[in-house]
Parts: sequence; structure tokens; C-alpha cells
Amino acid sequence: MLFFYSISIGNLEKSQVGFFIVIAFNGVSYFFSKEIGVKDVNFEISQDEFAFLIGPTGSGKTTIMRLIYMDLMPDDGFVTVGGISSNRIKKRKIPMVRRKIGMVFQDYHLLSDRNIFENVALPLHMVGIRRDEVRERVMNMLNELNIEEKEKKKPFELSGGEQQRVCIARALVKEPEVILADEPTGNLDPVAAHDLIKLLENVNNEGTAVFMVSHNYNLIKNRGHRILEIQMGEIQNQ
Amino acid sequence: MIDKISFLLIEGFRNLWRHKLTASTSIFSVFLTLFLIGILIIVGQNSHYPIEYFRSKYKIEVFFNNDTSDAQEKIIIEKIRELPEVRSVTPITKKDAVRIFKDQFGEDVIKMLGYNPLPGSAVVNINKDGFEQVNLEPLTEKIQSLNGVDVVRYQGRLISRLERFYQMMINLLKISTGVILLVSIVVISNTIKLTIYTCRELIKTLQLLGATKMFIKVPFILEGIFQSIIGASLAFFTIFGLMKAGNYYLPQLVTLRIQLDLYFGIGLLIISVVIGFIGSYRAVSKFL
Repeated sequence: MLFFYSISIGNLEKSQVGFFIVIAFNGVSYFFSKEIGVKDVNFEISQDEFAFLIGPTGSGKTTIMRLIYMDLMPDDGFVTVGGISSNRIKKRKIPMVRRKIGMVFQDYHLLSDRNIFENVALPLHMVGIRRDEVRERVMNMLNELNIEEKEKKKPFELSGGEQQRVCIARALVKEPEVILADEPTGNLDPVAAHDLIKLLENVNNEGTAVFMVSHNYNLIKNRGHRILEIQMGEIQNQ
Repeated sequence: MIDKISFLLIEGFRNLWRHKLTASTSIFSVFLTLFLIGILIIVGQNSHYPIEYFRSKYKIEVFFNNDTSDAQEKIIIEKIRELPEVRSVTPITKKDAVRIFKDQFGEDVIKMLGYNPLPGSAVVNINKDGFEQVNLEPLTEKIQSLNGVDVVRYQGRLISRLERFYQMMINLLKISTGVILLVSIVVISNTIKLTIYTCRELIKTLQLLGATKMFIKVPFILEGIFQSIIGASLAFFTIFGLMKAGNYYLPQLVTLRIQLDLYFGIGLLIISVVIGFIGSYRAVSKFL
């Protein structure tokens, strides 16, 4: 609850201890027609934090993620992402929220009919960045993640670990305020999964918040990061 | 902004290759519908040849009163000539009538009766241009009302039948073109809907990455327009080839030369862009 009390400063929110809050859940509940999605959820993720969300299947992890990228809107309470609140945003402005988030998915969500360069460049084209700048930023990102030689390959020509790196490159290239990783190690072997978390830790060390969902406690324990536990739609421990 | 536009334009082009199977289906359906529309337009454009031939045979015979002098007949003929529906007037004087009678029956009517009983007359030819139905009744009434005119005769029933048939054909062409146009919009939008359905994962990913609706829509709409333009070009060149072949072989059978308007190609292109835009916009809007 370190960052719980916050005041709004510009686009972001600054907590009393001086960190910017990038994600804030304020009494958020969401109900599916036949079951409770999440109930009275309160937590915040600050600017340079690495936090895990852990819980069994069906506990509400994906609902939390969908609420963050505003694919779902809370029935009660509100979610704030990068200073934009779910109770004030217009539907057509939701893409602006998503541009503040770098998404990493378990099943990669790479476009199979485009090569790696084109996949990573996509978020930059969305905001109308110049072609030569796109090239420079994408190549820098591929270099940083050691996949620059895969530039012209199609996603299906890469291993799972490499595809996940491409996914991270695509998330990072737009310089997001937070990386949202939904079970990114789910399809990876233990070594690749460990490497991926190391990579996300490096990203976090460079100043980007990371919020990662996992159900593999062994993988995330003893790493010194905050772990939020969700059970039956309610946050148990923070 | 320019970079974004050029990216979307290139994406639209690339989508054609990425979705080549559905794109070729769509191109083929555009080709087929525009080919049919094109043929109908050509038939419509060239349909005036036979009707003009028939209209050139439409004749109104005007008989003057027996006591009308040649000078008066000339004045009446001038008045008839001035009517807008009239193309030409051939006068037949009383003397001409005697000569024609002799030519046809071999007898000199003046020698037989001692006087000339045949009235002066005139043959009126009407204007043959235009796709509108020609109705001779108002014209004959105008002529009949002229002083010195005795009787006006024309093949009323035959002409009105021919004109009705021609109008029916023109209307049928218009309706068929409209129906085919509507069908092609539905077909194209369904084909593009199919393309979009196969791309729903792509759309979901783009949405999650922060793409606006417009950013997702534009390449699909451009893809639809490009497909239509390709289909229209294929239809145009096929029709052009058929027309060339027709003009090579037809003169050996009939005196008819098919004409292709310069605006035909432009028209086909505009129709294709409209079909492509409406079809793809309709399809993409259902998904987003």
C-alpha cells in the first residue's frame, strides 16, 4: 500500500513518496453475467515498479488485464492508466490509453504475414512516425534484444523465446509507460522463461514499469518484486 | 501525417498480396459484374442504331385541301419545316401526284376525268435522335390544325408499338444495370467481410496495440477499392477486345459498327471505385 495515496500531477499521478503512478485500481468491480469477474480491487503500480499478479485459472487475472487496457470498463470504481481514468474516457480515446501500454502476450499476437521488422514497426506507424526514424528505432530495439539478424524473418520461423523477444521489442519500441505481460512465459521452456524474466527486469531497471501476470509461483518467487495474489476475483495479498 | 497516409496506402496494396485468395475471388466477381454492366452500357449506347433505322422510315403524309394553291402549299410546308420534331419535308405538288399516279397505275388521270382530282401533299420525316419515346400524335395534331391541311396519315399503331418496345428495352437495361450494381456491392462487401473475418486476429492485435478504428479500416477499404479497380480494368480490356473483334466480323454480316465512348472507361472506373468503397466500408464497419 506504499503508493496508495496519490495526487494528480499532469498526465501521471504522483504518490506521497514521490513516484509516479502508472496504473491505479480504485474500488474496481466487474461482473460477468453469470459470475463475478473482480470485486473491489484496489492497487497501484508505480513508474519504476516490477509487480507480479498471481492466481489460479479463473481467479480474475485476465479480467484485471482487460480492465487495464480498457477492453472492459468497471461496473464499480475506476481504473487509471497513465493519468487517464476509465470513468472519464470516451470510447474513441481508448487507443490513446493502449499506446501508453506495451503489451506482451502468452501467444505473442505477432502478425504472421509480416516480417519481424514490420511487426515491431507497427506501433510506430500508428502514431505517424517518419519512415527513417521508424527504421532507426526498430533496428536499435532489435539490437538491444539480440534479434537484429531475424529482421526479415517471419514469426513462424522463430523459436518461442525469440518470438517473445519480438513481442517485447514491439512493446518497448513505442516507449510505453508500463509493460503489461499476460502469462508471457506460458509457452516457453524453463530456461527461456527465466531469460525472459531477466529481460523484463532489465527493461524495468531502465525505468519502465512492468506488470506481469503468471500462475507459475516458482518462477517469480525470491526475485524481490511485489506479488499481488488474486483469488476468486479479490486481491488477497499485495 | 503524410508518413501515416503513405503507410496506410502501402498497406492497402500489400493486403492484396497477403489476402490473394480472397482478393482474387473479389476481383473476379467485380470483373464479372462490371463486364455485364459494361456490355449492358454498350448495348444501350448502340441501341439507337436499329431504332434510328426504324425512325427514318416513320413518315407522315399530309394531304392539302383540293382548293389550296401551290403557293399556299409552299407556305404550309415551310410552317411544317419549322416544327422542332420535323427533320425534312418532301413536297408533292398536284402535278407530281398526277405523275406518280401514272407511274403506279399507267393511266393519265387528267385524260380520264378531264381535271386533276389529286390533291397536293407532303411527306414529313421526323427527327430520329434521342432515347426518349417518339410520340407522333402531338405533331400530327399540330399539322392537322394548319389552315389548308385536309388529312394527315401515319402508321400510328406500328410506330407506337416499336417505340414502346424500344422504351421497354431501355428501361430493362437500366433496371438490370441497377440490379447488377447492387448485387456487386453485396458480393464485394461479403467477400471483403470474409477477408476481414480471416483477419479478426490481426484486427484484435491492432486494437490492443492502440490502433484507431480508422487506422484499421483504411487499408481494408483501400484493398476493396484496389480490387475493384483491377476488376474494372480487366472488364474494360475484355470488353474492348470483344468490341474490336465485333467490329472486325460484324461489318461482314450487317452494316453496324459498335462504338465505345471515351467516357465508358472512365465511367467503369468510377463505378468500380464506388462499388469498392461502399462494399468494403460496409463490410469493415460491421466488424469494427
